[in-house]
Amino acid sequence: MRIQRIIGQGVQALNTNKVRTLFMMAGTIVGIAALTVIMAIGSGTEKKIMKRVEGFGPRALMLIAGGGKDLPPPDFNITTLRLDDADAVRNRVQGIEAISPVAFKSQMPIKVGGTQTQATVFAVDSDWHEAWDWYVTEGDPIAAEDVATLARVCVIGQTLSHDLFGNESPIGEYIHIQNVRFRVKGILKRRGTSPIGTDFDNRALIPLTTGMRRLFNQDHITYVRIKVRDLDQVESVKSQVRQLIHERHHITPPEEDDFRIVSAKGIGDLARGTSKTLSILLSALAGLSLIVGGVVLMNILLISVGERQKEIGLRRAVGATRKDILFQFLTESLAVTSIGMLVGSGLGAAITLILKQTTKVPVVLSWEPFALSLAFALLVGIFFGVQPARKAASLNPVETLR
Amino acid sequence: MIEVQGLEKTYSTGSVTTPVLKDINFRINDGEYVAIMGTSGTGKSTLMNILGCLDKPTGGSYRLDDTDVGSLDDDTLSHLRNRKVGFVFQQFHLLERATATRNVMLPLIYVEDYPEDAKKMAEKSLSSVGLADRMEYKPNELSGGQQQRVAIARALITEPEIILADEPTGNLDHKSGLEVMAIFKRLHQKGRTIILVTHEQAVADHAQRIIVLKDGKIAEDRRVEKQRDPDVELSTLAGGEDEQ
Repeated sequence: MRIQRIIGQGVQALNTNKVRTLFMMAGTIVGIAALTVIMAIGSGTEKKIMKRVEGFGPRALMLIAGGGKDLPPPDFNITTLRLDDADAVRNRVQGIEAISPVAFKSQMPIKVGGTQTQATVFAVDSDWHEAWDWYVTEGDPIAAEDVATLARVCVIGQTLSHDLFGNESPIGEYIHIQNVRFRVKGILKRRGTSPIGTDFDNRALIPLTTGMRRLFNQDHITYVRIKVRDLDQVESVKSQVRQLIHERHHITPPEEDDFRIVSAKGIGDLARGTSKTLSILLSALAGLSLIVGGVVLMNILLISVGERQKEIGLRRAVGATRKDILFQFLTESLAVTSIGMLVGSGLGAAITLILKQTTKVPVVLSWEPFALSLAFALLVGIFFGVQPARKAASLNPVETLR
Repeated sequence: MIEVQGLEKTYSTGSVTTPVLKDINFRINDGEYVAIMGTSGTGKSTLMNILGCLDKPTGGSYRLDDTDVGSLDDDTLSHLRNRKVGFVFQQFHLLERATATRNVMLPLIYVEDYPEDAKKMAEKSLSSVGLADRMEYKPNELSGGQQQRVAIARALITEPEIILADEPTGNLDHKSGLEVMAIFKRLHQKGRTIILVTHEQAVADHAQRIIVLKDGKIAEDRRVEKQRDPDVELSTLAGGEDEQ
């Protein structure tokens, strides 16, 4: 095919002038590599967010003491949220499957014999297990009776169990939490670490009443965990809860709330919000480098057309049509961006893998950036190649051969 | 066969029109060896460009094998150059980074039916100009005479009806020039039409017939009485060298 031979001529021209070709390619390589890395980080972040949303529970809401729009960890010193707030929510809000008020303190000293450690202690009622979908693997959960009788029993996480008892079973053993003696009645399933690195398994659960009256000596709670029956009722439950607490705390907007309600969606949006700004900025940078690369490519091609006037004239003299010349130079431009795209994708994938190995940046490699890169490469190649190619094709052979 | 009747070429820049060729008439039969002569500025390059289908006349007619060249579009002119015309330029115009073989194969890129044995054809063409041992050399590794012979091999590869040579010896020393003229002589003997464009009487004397241009018109169109023979001159040159 004639067109194949013309393409061959374009590729040969690139091959004979490798330094020039490399310069033409540089912008595309950098742009595509950046794009690949950015998209890998983008989908990695999204995956992490989804995991976090899943960990929180898509049907879950948290009514947390203390206002504000951000997501600071619940503060157990804020006293505005009461147990009867939780009771009111339980009795008056429609669509709730499980609800569990929680009071907690972190870094509580815990001791067994000579072994001492620190853990977060949660005072919970018997519905906690269902509200969090978090059950015991061994022994028994916190029961309603434990709460009613202010029992000095506890359920502990795997990390705490290991720290205190090694590989021995802790069931039936006694631990001291801040000098109060508790009997271990169960071990929680392993949950792993939070996205910010908190160990979920370094905890002890004690009955709500025991915690509030004996250990913490307080009558406020830190938050209420609510599990909504249906996913599409989450927003409705959220607004019902807000209205109810407004009423109970005598708050009329625009007065500032002394509580906040967090949903899985809210957590996802908040996390996305910060990563989105960064990702838009980086994408813009990648786009810019593709455009700059395209402009450089165009200029080098234009210079090259000027330098190769005699060659173009000669080709025309031995039978090349204007179209043949146009195609040859378009081929050069497209080959530069296509090869640049392949190199850039490879480089981007390599950087992504290095990031995965050496840092905690979440990354996911997929085919999408590759497809997008190909589209961009062809677009840049044609857009910035057309003008030089047309200039080459429009040269008058009589004048160029003089 | 080439037939030119009342041919005119006028260049216009803005409102100024400059006539370059005026009322040119001649006919060149197949197999003729013709020199077009004239001092610079007489329009001989313009005439060569028109005969080589690189340019079109602004008046009169130019028929190449019964095709009226003046009426053709740009693409058809390209195809016509590819099939019927072989150019040899004073500056050789070789691709600097390509080997002799690749240079010779260049016109084949643009033929309709690419021959399978393109490389063989190029090698055969290079052998016919005495460069069998220089096929993979690049232009900068060849002497001027050798470069011009590569250019001739390139002109020959499509087996064109006419060879158009524009001052082919202009950049060559005496001996290399004679060698190039010897190749033209052989091509002529094999029946090819050769048109030589030159300002030198001595070069024109290699042809059978000389058309002299003066101020854009034909001043003379005559047979050469005593045609120069490059082979004889080369052998005397070799003899002379032996004596030294």
